[in-house]
Amino acid sequence: MKIYTGSGDRGKTSLFSGERVPKDSERIEAYGDLDELNSVTGALIAALPRQTEDLRQELEKFQSDLFHIGAWLATSPGAPAAASLQPLDPDGADSLERCIDRIEETLPPLTGFILPGGSPAAAWAHVARTVCRRTERRVVGLSAGMADAESAAQLGRAIVYLNRLSDYFFVLARHINRLQGIEDTVWKR
Amino acid sequence: MEAVSPQSPGPEVCSFFSTRIIARRNLSSNAFELTLLKPPAFTFAPGQRVRLKHGPVCRDYSIASAPAEENIRLCIRKVKRGLLSPQLAAAPASTTLTFTGPHGYFTFKASPRPAVFVATGTGIAPFCSMAASGDFDFTLLHGVEQAEDLYYRDLFQTRAATYVGCLSEARSGSTAHHAGRVTGYIEKHLPRRACDFYLCGRQDMIRDVTLLVDEEFQGSLVYSEAFY
Repeated sequence: MKIYTGSGDRGKTSLFSGERVPKDSERIEAYGDLDELNSVTGALIAALPRQTEDLRQELEKFQSDLFHIGAWLATSPGAPAAASLQPLDPDGADSLERCIDRIEETLPPLTGFILPGGSPAAAWAHVARTVCRRTERRVVGLSAGMADAESAAQLGRAIVYLNRLSDYFFVLARHINRLQGIEDTVWKR
Repeated sequence: MEAVSPQSPGPEVCSFFSTRIIARRNLSSNAFELTLLKPPAFTFAPGQRVRLKHGPVCRDYSIASAPAEENIRLCIRKVKRGLLSPQLAAAPASTTLTFTGPHGYFTFKASPRPAVFVATGTGIAPFCSMAASGDFDFTLLHGVEQAEDLYYRDLFQTRAATYVGCLSEARSGSTAHHAGRVTGYIEKHLPRRACDFYLCGRQDMIRDVTLLVDEEFQGSLVYSEAFY
């Protein structure tokens, strides 16, 4: 199958709900950032050190969650197409919190701001954290004043999930550096 | 016919089934209809696909039958050097096959706007299922090479508010159908207003109609399913 269709050559694209919208519209920007977040997560997985199969599986689960969120971002509020979407997992953020708590238990307490970096995998985790924050901001903008209750509820779940996912990437970066024997670099004023 | 949706909305809930061939009939010189036993647990919405597996090969085919029918009917284009369609065209009755499904989201969505279905070739399949399943008005444009390829014509002449066969190899004025491509018919004859366009078939048709909709049918929705 050819990957290109050409139907977007004049600057518009189709939402899952059928509307043709400019490619720089708020909704496309939001799921574009989500797509970027998913790709960066893939780069992080590719850079993971050996013997971290559990982390790879955990991150791939989050990648699937992001696809699910993307479906809601690609659907206009109240559109008939929303009927074919599955609701986002209401326990998704709780699940992330358990992962964060599990990792954090193994880390030394923070004594100040740390510089993003360390091993390649940890550096990717920091990139994922910041892309996740940008995606979260986009989704907050998209959800502002949303009248359709179901779509507003789903985007509300997405915002909480992304907020927690960003925190996860932060502790994951520290965890990976620790696994690889790299200490946090604390910001010196 | 082999199909894939470019618009992926997330995880699908589908299952694995065994089936067998009940019957096969030619629709034209280059397409046939395959009737498969419908497993009792298999349900689908009009417009969805099955992923048929035979040996190491698997391909997606839109379902042409209505969910209420006893069996599953697939509308399949004969691809000369295809990996699966020649086998399906020759397989005897009772041949067992496996499939997963239902796949896809190319389903009819009720709307106050008029529905315009546009198909090329075996891309007509999902519209057969939709037309046989619901009571709603629609315009159907079927783009094919010759009149013999206008399979399911009887169904659509009964069900569609407007049915137009578009014959790409016909000379102007030589038939009762539109001589030319579906895009030509839309450009010349379709009233300019907001519609819900459902496009199924060749990617170049989907591209050309979508760009035309962008230019001349403001406020319209476009749902598409491309074959490859």
